[in-house]
Amino acid sequence: MNSLTKASTLTAENISVWFGQRQVLSDVNLVFPANKVTALIGPSGCGKSTFIRTLNRMHELIPGAGLAGSVFLDGEDIYGEDFDAVSVRIKIGMVFQKPNPFPTMTIRDNILSGLRLSGRKFGNGDEIVETSLRRASIWNEVKDRLSDQAISLSGGQQQRLCIARSLAMNPQVLLMDEPCSALDPGSTRRIEETIQELSSSMTIVIVTHNMQQAQRVSDQTAFFLADDNTPGGVVEFGSTDQIFNGPIDQRTNDYVNGHFG
Amino acid sequence: MGFAPRPATQPWASVNKARTAYIVLASIVPIFLTALAVVFTHLNQNVALMGVFLPLQLLAACLVGFTSFGKRGVGDAALIVLVIFFATFVLVLLSSVVVALVTEGAKAMSWTFVSQNNIYVSNTTSLDYGGVGHAIIGTLLIVGITTLVTVPLGIAMAIYLTQSQSKTKGLIRTLTQAISGLPSVVAGLFIMSIALTLGWERSGVLGSMALLPLMLPTVARVAEEALRLVPVDLRYAALALGAPNYRAFFQVILPAAKSGLVTALLLGVARIIGETAPLLLTVPINNGTSWNVFSGNIMTLPAYVYGYLTSAFDSSQSRAWGAALVLMTLVALLFGAARYFSRTKSLKSKTTKQKASK
Repeated sequence: MNSLTKASTLTAENISVWFGQRQVLSDVNLVFPANKVTALIGPSGCGKSTFIRTLNRMHELIPGAGLAGSVFLDGEDIYGEDFDAVSVRIKIGMVFQKPNPFPTMTIRDNILSGLRLSGRKFGNGDEIVETSLRRASIWNEVKDRLSDQAISLSGGQQQRLCIARSLAMNPQVLLMDEPCSALDPGSTRRIEETIQELSSSMTIVIVTHNMQQAQRVSDQTAFFLADDNTPGGVVEFGSTDQIFNGPIDQRTNDYVNGHFG
Repeated sequence: MGFAPRPATQPWASVNKARTAYIVLASIVPIFLTALAVVFTHLNQNVALMGVFLPLQLLAACLVGFTSFGKRGVGDAALIVLVIFFATFVLVLLSSVVVALVTEGAKAMSWTFVSQNNIYVSNTTSLDYGGVGHAIIGTLLIVGITTLVTVPLGIAMAIYLTQSQSKTKGLIRTLTQAISGLPSVVAGLFIMSIALTLGWERSGVLGSMALLPLMLPTVARVAEEALRLVPVDLRYAALALGAPNYRAFFQVILPAAKSGLVTALLLGVARIIGETAPLLLTVPINNGTSWNVFSGNIMTLPAYVYGYLTSAFDSSQSRAWGAALVLMTLVALLFGAARYFSRTKSLKSKTTKQKASK
């Protein structure tokens, strides 16, 4: 655990996104300070998932995607000349909405897959496997079956395995795109606890549709909204307490109190 | 323990005695009437099957359907009759080919037939002498070479068709489809004309080259489908972990598509292993055993079948049937082996799972 890299501050400046001719995000400015958990909330289709994908350059994999603006990792532009997509993704990990462990690999190989896929050298890997699984609080459940296929796990376990897989890469920032939307309340609680523990060693950005979850896990919250036929954008950004208990914008107030969305 | 025992009956399969009687009647009467028609009018049996039995059976089934369920029963009954009739028809058709092959081929079949070559055999030689050993070797060599070249090519094409965002994809896919309609004799003529132009001797590899354009479209199309079935999530997961494209492909996508790619290989081999015309044009036949595909004569199973089938002698006919049976068995063995080796991994994981649950 002592070899962990430091958490970093991630800054998004004037992010606008297009799919083909259609603009889906307009002028998003957000700062994700080191060791803080930021929740992105808002109704479906407002561009939260699209935005989070611009933060580790997964956005550019979609055919026809376009982007304006910059994302800075500790002051360095991840779209700049000194960075390429692969090295960005090594530093900024991502957990997806649907658990996606590699079905042809064992639990152990899933954890080590990031290191192998990015061509890093490592020893026998035992320590990395145990540390990563412990950090994702799934070690006790799988320690006796590390050589089983990953798809033999339950949905909640698969998602924690995917978190552990990202953690094995020791990222400075972890992006989570609705990580609990396919999970039962028990698994959700465990992942939320994991998020809390992880924030001591990394910066976390989480997209969620669950207001209670945003309140439980995050330090700051950004509310995204897209009016009919206009690109999405950030309506309000502040501390989680302020967004939920004293929103300035009427639309934020309506959304967090369940009046729409 | 705390559970009620599984009931022996399935309540939805309720027994209605009158309906059962109707169904039994409806399945006997049409056969009976058709038999009568054949006996009294000496109707051609095929005509009777399609022209008398099928309409009668449909009518009977629709009547039963109507009396039991009203209008909606008619469609169900008609569909059931059509499905069973044509499924049986196809099954009989296919199995009669297999039965014919086995019964006719069995006359020639022996260890001698499978292992020996044909070097001292004439049309009047007893079936106790000579065999297709040399043709098996030749077929395996020629088809093997084609497979070795085509499978990487076909998979590479499939990768291009699934992973690339280039606009030439559509053109390439159309061309591939067009080639799959190429008559095999044309492929043979094409290679033969090249060989004649360049002054090459006819040989085994020319046969392999002639088979290549026949196998490639099959492998490419099936491999493309196999790769397309791999969820895009897996590719994203790999890339999000910092994988370059090639590692994501070789370590994640390819293993996930493995069994589909084996299917591509199998269908490709099945497509070409029985091809006769291209080989007759490009590969000089032989009665002795040859391992040399690069020069000289070499025998293949389809050429052997063709050679003996066109002879009038009974023993020659039996040899042709025997060789065809060997060819079919060879395909079955290859399929079985490939399926076994591509399946071992998932079987292994299943057994560890069972152990873990115990």
